[in-house]
Amino acid sequence: MAYKPQYGPGTSIVAENRRKQMNPNQKLEKMRDVTDEDIVLILGHRAPGAAYPTAHPPLAEQQEPDCPIRKIVTPTEGAKAGDRVRYIQFTDSMFFAPCHPYQRTYTECYRFRGIDPGTLSGRQIVECRERDLEKYSKELITTELLDPARTGIRGATVHGHSLRLAENGMMFDMLQRSVLGEDGVVKYIKNQIGEPLDRAVAIGKPMDEKWLKDHTTIFHSLGGSAYRDDAEYIEYVQRIHTLRTKYGFLPKED
Amino acid sequence: MTDAIFPQVRIVSTRLLRPDTVETLLNRLVQGGGIRRMSLNGPGIPATVPYGPARGQPNPHPDRKAIRVGDQDVQLQVQVGTIILELEDESYIPAIEEAVDDVFAEKGFSCTVQQGRYMKTQPSLSDYARYGPDADRDLLGLADPRRKDGLVIIQGTK
Repeated sequence: MAYKPQYGPGTSIVAENRRKQMNPNQKLEKMRDVTDEDIVLILGHRAPGAAYPTAHPPLAEQQEPDCPIRKIVTPTEGAKAGDRVRYIQFTDSMFFAPCHPYQRTYTECYRFRGIDPGTLSGRQIVECRERDLEKYSKELITTELLDPARTGIRGATVHGHSLRLAENGMMFDMLQRSVLGEDGVVKYIKNQIGEPLDRAVAIGKPMDEKWLKDHTTIFHSLGGSAYRDDAEYIEYVQRIHTLRTKYGFLPKED
Repeated sequence: MTDAIFPQVRIVSTRLLRPDTVETLLNRLVQGGGIRRMSLNGPGIPATVPYGPARGQPNPHPDRKAIRVGDQDVQLQVQVGTIILELEDESYIPAIEEAVDDVFAEKGFSCTVQQGRYMKTQPSLSDYARYGPDADRDLLGLADPRRKDGLVIIQGTK
């Protein structure tokens, strides 16, 4: 029988959302339109329209060593062109953000090629070749993986994921890169490292509380689905915990 | 340092507050009187970008501004989430609760007033090591006594 990945345990809506995001055969729901130029502005790695700076000559122009792995692996577009490695970093509020750092890393590893994700408690960074990064960032920003109010695109000074929300429902950001306008649309007025942009970049209206609770991948006992209520998830985590603890004592199978 | 005989209350809202809400609330509290000391807590809003490639650049932030409380301007350096008060006596607490209820009635989120002990009563060893023997005891446990801008004194409530 062919192997069929399960992506994760659990019977709750949170577990279901996690599986849905991780499964590359499941198309992510498109929520908003953001242009390529807007993405370049938010990332702040190069000026819109500028050529991609390179770290090495294009692969076609340089002598490749005779390597069996290079014959198996097709290079991504960015690697082929010799682009620099650049990053995008996200902060997800604990108040029902649609994604969270570990989930982002799993999702990206299942869906994207040629990436190097870094997972931390309050932020998640993904590094890859610049041209690939812009393509992946567009998917991360325009789909259901992002909520304009509860997710922040923050290259530095990320503090805010575990804080109370502001009065208008935005996650705290000490650099206030994004603001909620009078028209209810969230606009980025600074790039991800906090440099002011020449023009504001609109990324859409914040999702309502019901949508967030239906699409979140975060267990939350206050107001959301509690981790302890998902017996299958608990059983799975306890099994992993037991096995890795026992393994420390090098058990012998009977 | 506080004297343990004075009651203390803490005002905690479920959202971080905008400067105009803080201004309204503090003016209501000051009008009620009976407050010996007050501290505004919350996550800091720096004047310049503290980390990353843009480090040192100015950080324009609409919530880092001066508000008018009583007869004084108070420069906010944090996004206020908690207000700690030291009172003359417990008789002022119902008025504080009423002021908080009035200000947050229309807000769509709640705010609670808790009574307890939220200020230090004596300097710790760390305070001594960090600030020395001559540190301003009015500020120890509430803010960094080495700060140059010091306290704001709001007068005329008696």
